[in-house]
Amino acid sequence: MANKFDIDPDLVKKLAELLDETGLSEIEFESTGRRIRVARPVAGSAPPITVNAPPAAAAAAPSADAESQSEARIGTPITSPMVGTIFLSPEPGAEPFIKVGDTVSEGQTVMLIEAMKTYNPVRATKSGKVVQILVGDSTPVEFGEELLLVE
Amino acid sequence: MFEKILIANRGEIALRIHRACKEMGISTVAVHSTADADAMHVRLADESVCLGPAPAKDSYLNIPAIVSAATITGADAVHPGYGFLSEEASFASILEEHGFTFIGPTAEHIDLMGDKVAAKKAVEENGVPVVPGSKGALETAADARKTADDIGYPVLIKAAGGGGGRGMQIVRSADEVEDAYRMARTEAKASFRNDTVYMEKFLEKPRHIEVQVFADGQGGAVHLGERDCSLQRRHQKVLEEARSPALNDEAREKIGKIAADAVRRIGYRNAGTIEFLYEAGEFYFIEMNTRLQVEHPVTEMITGIDMVREQIRVAAGSPLSFEQSDITFEGHAIECRITAEHPETFVPSPGRITDYHPPGGMSVRVDSGLYAGYTIPPHYDSLVAKLIVHGANRNECLMRLRRSLEEFVIGGIHTTIPLHEKIIENSDFVNGDYDIHWLERFVAGDIADN
Repeated sequence: MANKFDIDPDLVKKLAELLDETGLSEIEFESTGRRIRVARPVAGSAPPITVNAPPAAAAAAPSADAESQSEARIGTPITSPMVGTIFLSPEPGAEPFIKVGDTVSEGQTVMLIEAMKTYNPVRATKSGKVVQILVGDSTPVEFGEELLLVE
Repeated sequence: MFEKILIANRGEIALRIHRACKEMGISTVAVHSTADADAMHVRLADESVCLGPAPAKDSYLNIPAIVSAATITGADAVHPGYGFLSEEASFASILEEHGFTFIGPTAEHIDLMGDKVAAKKAVEENGVPVVPGSKGALETAADARKTADDIGYPVLIKAAGGGGGRGMQIVRSADEVEDAYRMARTEAKASFRNDTVYMEKFLEKPRHIEVQVFADGQGGAVHLGERDCSLQRRHQKVLEEARSPALNDEAREKIGKIAADAVRRIGYRNAGTIEFLYEAGEFYFIEMNTRLQVEHPVTEMITGIDMVREQIRVAAGSPLSFEQSDITFEGHAIECRITAEHPETFVPSPGRITDYHPPGGMSVRVDSGLYAGYTIPPHYDSLVAKLIVHGANRNECLMRLRRSLEEFVIGGIHTTIPLHEKIIENSDFVNGDYDIHWLERFVAGDIADN
């Protein structure tokens, strides 16, 4: 297979003349493995830009409970540090660690998360007031899942 | 049969496993890092669980997170794919202890083949030809010198805890041995936390030929033919083909039988690959991989067997679906590993895919998780797509491969598609005339253009 592409000045001249004669802005010519393109810059034309619209992820869907969803959310979420099952109380039957309205300090244990039979504390990452608890007792959660909101 | 399988991997192989599960009516759980939340297999899987942040140690290597994810989703079994935890024996045992089936061999066999010294001894005892070498580990520099003199130079000092081409020193003469020995032990300790080293004869221009085996731990064991994986750069395979252009039917049946008999004798279960170096008509065992391999599709294309499906069936307790006499080999297949790297400098090229158009048509297969708009994360290896092509013979396969590579569009990043296009035009490759050093020389510009 021939790798060298000798430039034929006559061909280029011919194509350039064709551009002038026809008023075209671009001619591309290809034949078995060789391709040449001759273009005239056209004032005012911008290269076509395709913009892929990002999928409308968080658009508020018009639905019955749209109002509560479109309210601005108060508070910073505390997220799960690992994969596991959330427990709201230190042990079954005991009072939950926190209720809505409680004040928590940074580092305080607010829930337990169980993984492979070991229990780990979920700690508040900031101090403040518990605004909302987002998961129920014995809920399986993934890493990063929002557990509660603190303001 | 399992109802739900957790896929403990990412990228194209996670998608491959998902597809096999869905075709068997099994639901899938995709576990992923934060960086892979938009991966194709995560979007397609029935359930997904985020394991942790992007670094592999926090996610794909995070055994507690994966076991937890299996627990909370109620999965029956876990497929480890390749890489990551697929050859981590403790992962296999922990899963079994927690009541999950690990889709692969036993932890004992993973351990056995993970120790390169023990593996060599075990296969040699079961009739597999090995590279002449030290009888086990080299305890002292004096041992190393004597062993090297016995084997004959050049020799290779290798880390017992290594593999995949890492931690090796070539020694060409007697006066280099002791320094190389000391350096090898130091590097082995740093890389693998195990400074045990052994020695083998160094082969100058071998080919890498591996045999796919499958066993069910119930007496059934077969080989599914060989693959030639000699085209490697920095010990990473770049292109693989089945069947090897270097072998005739007699040689390939012989080595296939040796491999199948060995795994039957040791009571192996599930898929495995026995890797050999082949030089001057002789095979030399280098290692056994106790997992599915990246290049398994070339074997699937020539045998018509879905290997992931068979892995799942065997793990669920079924005997092999086939005996050796049921297996037929048709035509030729080639796989190109397409990585997100510059095709000449190999600088990694993660980023957003603007256009994606895979080739199609008869006997063309693309295994990839890419899609237009997907952003390749920088945290993992650079394999983004495998193009596998089948033909009635090697020539037809090459024509089809050339046509497919021309059609393949991956816009927005650099890929090694242009490298593959160059390789397949070279007359050495067209003639099947290459060894494990060829590609390095080709990339360095030392191979003449045809």
